[in-house]
Amino acid sequence: MFSFTKKQEVLQIGNISIGGQPGRVPTVLIGGLFFSGKPDFSDAKEDINKMISISENTGNPAICDFFIKKTEYIDDILSFISSTIPEKQPFSIDVTDPNVKVSVLSKLDEIGLLNQTIYNSIHVGITEGELDALKQHCPNTAILVAFNPKDTSPDGKIEVLETGAHVTKQGLFSIAKECNIKNILVDTAALAPGQNSGGSIAALPVIKEEYGLPTGCAIHNVVEKSTWLNNFSDAKGIVDVASNINIPLYGGDFAIFGSVKHANKVFPIIAWQDILISEYVDQYFGVKPSETHPRRMFY
Amino acid sequence: MNEAVETTVIGSYPVSLNTLKMMDDYSNGVLPSWNPYIKHAVSSMSDAGIDLISDGQTRDPFINIFARGFQGCRIRSRAEVIGPVDLVKPITKNDLTYVSSIIPKDKKILGLLVGPCTLSESVVDYFYNDKKELAFAFANALKKELRIIEPLVDMISIDEPFFSNIYPEYAKELISKVLDGVSCRTRMHVCGDVSSIVQDIVDFPVDILSHEFKATPTLFDVFSEHPSDIGICLGCVRSDRKEIEPVSEIITHIEKGKQVFDSKLKQLAPDCGLRMLPEKNALSKLRNLVSAKEKIYG
Repeated sequence: MFSFTKKQEVLQIGNISIGGQPGRVPTVLIGGLFFSGKPDFSDAKEDINKMISISENTGNPAICDFFIKKTEYIDDILSFISSTIPEKQPFSIDVTDPNVKVSVLSKLDEIGLLNQTIYNSIHVGITEGELDALKQHCPNTAILVAFNPKDTSPDGKIEVLETGAHVTKQGLFSIAKECNIKNILVDTAALAPGQNSGGSIAALPVIKEEYGLPTGCAIHNVVEKSTWLNNFSDAKGIVDVASNINIPLYGGDFAIFGSVKHANKVFPIIAWQDILISEYVDQYFGVKPSETHPRRMFY
Repeated sequence: MNEAVETTVIGSYPVSLNTLKMMDDYSNGVLPSWNPYIKHAVSSMSDAGIDLISDGQTRDPFINIFARGFQGCRIRSRAEVIGPVDLVKPITKNDLTYVSSIIPKDKKILGLLVGPCTLSESVVDYFYNDKKELAFAFANALKKELRIIEPLVDMISIDEPFFSNIYPEYAKELISKVLDGVSCRTRMHVCGDVSSIVQDIVDFPVDILSHEFKATPTLFDVFSEHPSDIGICLGCVRSDRKEIEPVSEIITHIEKGKQVFDSKLKQLAPDCGLRMLPEKNALSKLRNLVSAKEKIYG
């Protein structure tokens, strides 16, 4: 538990505060929907409501991350978002296919949701078409995935943010600036076991100290790829949830924790971790928890 | 002796990265392989008819290839030295091993090192604060890399572009340090106008000197004024211009090289690395270079 020497930005994204010194604002938790492809709306609203209810209980802000895998799902998913997500509540869209990305951006602009949108994500795979679409339909916030195919260390992640590591023509920061994206979140790009998987956690304090920006990652993906854990079926789910505590412990600001269905387990464990950190940094560094911090909610 | 003249490259070849595939690999928990890019570069050089082939230096600009590999260095917005420089694991061995597994049997392999002076001038030094000490630290680390790759290659080329602008009084000592005890053929490539240092470098401990004779034809006169037994790699096509030199123009240039260097003319190559050119132009330049050589030497 520590404090950064670099001034830390606390971004206000809709009704959510994110970033800052460890212990200041609660860790933001991002839960995913529609991973498997065709969206199933039957449980989605209930899952979201459950997550928001737990969020209101612990104080950790919740963000829904909507996977959109195909063009034909765009209208239905965006219509669902319009009718389900409150106006001040940010949401993220998680799209892989560059052509789908372009269509989603255009549609978000058309229906007036770009201010609520967290674009997940900009990375070295950006195409010219995606870049043009981002300039034309600029979301308020974007996640930059600092994956450097040449260097998985924290330095490599900084390199790709700064210069693109000669994989892209420019660094990811420069791309975001060119698109006029207001709020930047940095994802330290968790990698599979055997590929410097710890680098994404080590990069959290390095990038926070370098730039002062809100930083996090999807460390639970490393657990999913730890196939040896399949021999410990009772424990794998616990490890998946518990892996997220690495993020606040190392100074990170948000955890992309997997399915919203895990919210009932992830929120309490992160709230517990946030309280642990807050008690120390308040006493040692004088960092006071915000009004909605889990420490305020429970003590 | 002219039968020994070989076509070769300076080092780099254009690369077009499939970044979408890289992100797909990332999502699937797989680190992207560089072998497809190396294979493409090697196949292109080989298909063009080049005799002595590099790995194409497709991974990075040449400074970064080594700065990324050495202990004590890191790359952020620039290559930086943050601790004692050393080689703790091979940098180019795996790529050269891969090249040796895919090249035709009649082709030879060129191993590439960026020179210690160029490295020391290119990095941001937060540790040594002494250019000479830093340069010799790089020389020691490069020597270790050379020892590792020597069995895999037919020639080692040291690339020292900074010598044309910054020529330290310890330049020869530096290169000697790297090459001490080497048993394969050696070459030093210095691009730019080397007129002011020709008198110094003609007795360097390398078999061949390589320069940009196409971009700087005045070098023919300068070398004539400083006769030596050292071999020459003749830059025959521009690497800084897209225009493709016709075969006839390259033949005229090589004939000039034969006049000046006679049997000391050992290699024909582009002026410098081809990384910055569009690939079709780079390939055409190599093809025309090979055609010109065949028309002259059969």
